[in-house]
Amino acid sequence: MKRILFVALVLVAALAAAPRRWVPGLLEPARAVLVGDAAYRSPPATLPIDLGTSEPPCANEHPEWRDAQVIEGVAIERSTVCEPDNPYLVAAVVKGTNNVSMETLMKSGLAPDAVVKTNDRDGDGDPDDVHIKLEVVELNGHSPDTPELIPRFPIAPGIEPGFWVFAPKSFGMATRSLEDLRANPLFRVPSPSIRVEQGDHVSVTLENTHYLPHTIHFHGVDHPYHFFLDTPDVKDARVGNDGVPETDEHTVMPGDSHTYEFTPRHAGTKFYHCHVQPQAHLLMGLQGMFVVEENRPDNWLETLNVGAGQVRHPSIAVREQYASEYDLHYMDLDKSLHELVQKVNDPRLIARAINRTYNITKRVATYFLLNGRSFPYTFRESLVVVKPDEKVKLRVLNGGMSLISLHPHGQAVTETDLDGIEVPPAARVTRDVVAIAAAQRVDLLLDTTNDGLHSYGDGVWLLHDHNEHAFTTDGVSPGGSISAIAYESYLDATGWPITHGIDWKPFFSPDYYRRKIPVWVAYDDLGMLGEAGPTSPAPRQVAARALLAGLLAGALASRFGRRRPRRLL
Amino acid sequence: MTAAVVAALAAVLAAGAGAAEPAADRSHEGQAMDGMQMSAQGMVMNQNTDRLPQDCASISQDVAITVHAGRKYAAKYPGTMYAYDRGAWDVPPCSRVTVTLVNEDRVRHQWMLHGLPRYLYPEGMFHLEVSGPGEGSGTFIVPSAKKTYLVHCDVPQHAEKGMKAELTVAGGDGDLPSIPGVSAAIEPDAYRVRWDAATLIVAGAVGFLGAVFGFRALRR
Repeated sequence: MKRILFVALVLVAALAAAPRRWVPGLLEPARAVLVGDAAYRSPPATLPIDLGTSEPPCANEHPEWRDAQVIEGVAIERSTVCEPDNPYLVAAVVKGTNNVSMETLMKSGLAPDAVVKTNDRDGDGDPDDVHIKLEVVELNGHSPDTPELIPRFPIAPGIEPGFWVFAPKSFGMATRSLEDLRANPLFRVPSPSIRVEQGDHVSVTLENTHYLPHTIHFHGVDHPYHFFLDTPDVKDARVGNDGVPETDEHTVMPGDSHTYEFTPRHAGTKFYHCHVQPQAHLLMGLQGMFVVEENRPDNWLETLNVGAGQVRHPSIAVREQYASEYDLHYMDLDKSLHELVQKVNDPRLIARAINRTYNITKRVATYFLLNGRSFPYTFRESLVVVKPDEKVKLRVLNGGMSLISLHPHGQAVTETDLDGIEVPPAARVTRDVVAIAAAQRVDLLLDTTNDGLHSYGDGVWLLHDHNEHAFTTDGVSPGGSISAIAYESYLDATGWPITHGIDWKPFFSPDYYRRKIPVWVAYDDLGMLGEAGPTSPAPRQVAARALLAGLLAGALASRFGRRRPRRLL
Repeated sequence: MTAAVVAALAAVLAAGAGAAEPAADRSHEGQAMDGMQMSAQGMVMNQNTDRLPQDCASISQDVAITVHAGRKYAAKYPGTMYAYDRGAWDVPPCSRVTVTLVNEDRVRHQWMLHGLPRYLYPEGMFHLEVSGPGEGSGTFIVPSAKKTYLVHCDVPQHAEKGMKAELTVAGGDGDLPSIPGVSAAIEPDAYRVRWDAATLIVAGAVGFLGAVFGFRALRR
């Protein structure tokens, strides 16, 4: 009798415990009655939204930096964006750090020998010997004493990949202060755009402050393969000048320096980058735009455009044809490479991880940067700000590995130069998607004449890579290298675009890019697309499963259990 | 950096340290802003040769320290890349310390001291920087308290990769972490472990003794 009851109980419990899809259709009504799930049970309610800590879009730290101004006799153009470049830095690199006052130098943060300009060789009113000193800086690096990354350079809220960049020679602290661990403003991605004049005697000294070996290769910049120098030991010593460790030059070891020298003969938008283990070093951030400007009288150039973006003191040749000029440096990163420097401290372990553990052939591009930042930070500093009826020059570099299909909304742009070489006017193409492969440069003419072809009129028109992964930050959209062509009438006093779309608050929360915030909450007034909350388990089904488990356990114990417990040991 | 400069400007301090060697570019040679003296060769910030800390009645003695900085000093500490020639210096309370930093690399190095009283030293810092091969020096006066001061080079990753030290007054109040030759890191790196026979034998023997003891202790 007991056994019959046992078997019946097991069968009933099994029926109630079974997932619905396991139960044959004939038994389904019985199962539904047992569990009681045919009746309406409300699915879980939508959870309240927690945006975490959302930053203000624009901290507006230096409103006085936006105005057009003259410093040290250098005319600096207006920059209307939220985070304009430091005009004292612009003045110092235009005049040369050797030709400005101590006060300007201090405000620029540059070392006195960062950009030395001397010797007007052709007597046309501007210096023709330019000596630039670059250091190598790690951002978001590891410390053996704290889990904090240092110095901090977030590319988007809460996202801090490790970087190596060339930085202008500076002085003082790596962080803004002892308490504020954000990087010194000169330490940032991308490495600065360099501008020299055609025919300048250019010296670039790499002072390798990093803990791994590096070089500089001047890609597309007219330079001799090597030159000769008298040293204390050797007369006419051959000095490598191409930056390639395998062919012409020993690498510049930590603590050492090396000077590259050349006199570029052709103007155009070029590239410079480290050529040591380029599959890692170049992509870690050791790359920048290199612009050779046409020779003109009295042509003082913005030798370093820190962080790329707007050129606040364009060359005379550019000013002849354009109202303004922007350097747009695109990159894409595989986050797994950039994490490697954040896990260990020993340079040998880092070298092993970068050179031998990391395998670039398994690379996935996860972060997409314009001038070192991803959306929404791109809107703080890399908007292309225009007015109607003007011509704007965009110099675009693809420093990443993915193809870029650059698409400006509301405009069609004209390709005037490819890889720093002018396209004959009759052969120029005007289009709305510009393809740029790895390491290529394209100079674009943006004509804001509202004629239905070149421009459709005022607005905040997105400027983005149409390979849709670049619209994301590690797959979360909106992110990546999205920026905009913003007509001035659409900017508020802080340089923030006046948008008429959804609330951006979630995009300034680190939780958004940690995938914790549902996408449409900011404009779903009934909350119907928020996060579904958890449901409680069906009580009868849980009871049935527990009963079934208990019955079976008891049965097993009765079959196999020993009557007398054996004494242990 | 801007903040640090502004802080430096706020303090009106005597500036008298010298740049060591003449450099090619002398345009900023010996130029001083309040609290900061800069030259093509480097800079000294928050130098103090005569203002006494509140707890010192007089300068107890003059101490001269010569610090050599460079990659070659890191070679004896595996896993580092830059170092000073020493990891620690001890000075008497209320002494006036003149540090000469000899930079033996062809890049920038610093000797930055933290934790000094802020009423004398903005941000509590004394900072000596030599921008390439050569040397520079600067002077500060320490308070009387027994204390350990952090010294490091703040060029990114230089302190993390070994260029870190401590200056103690009267023996100091404990060691700071991660100083080559002095103290361990708080979060040390993990390395591959190569087992040797002696360690295995010792571990086996100790384990066996533990098992015997455990068996005997619990046996009824």
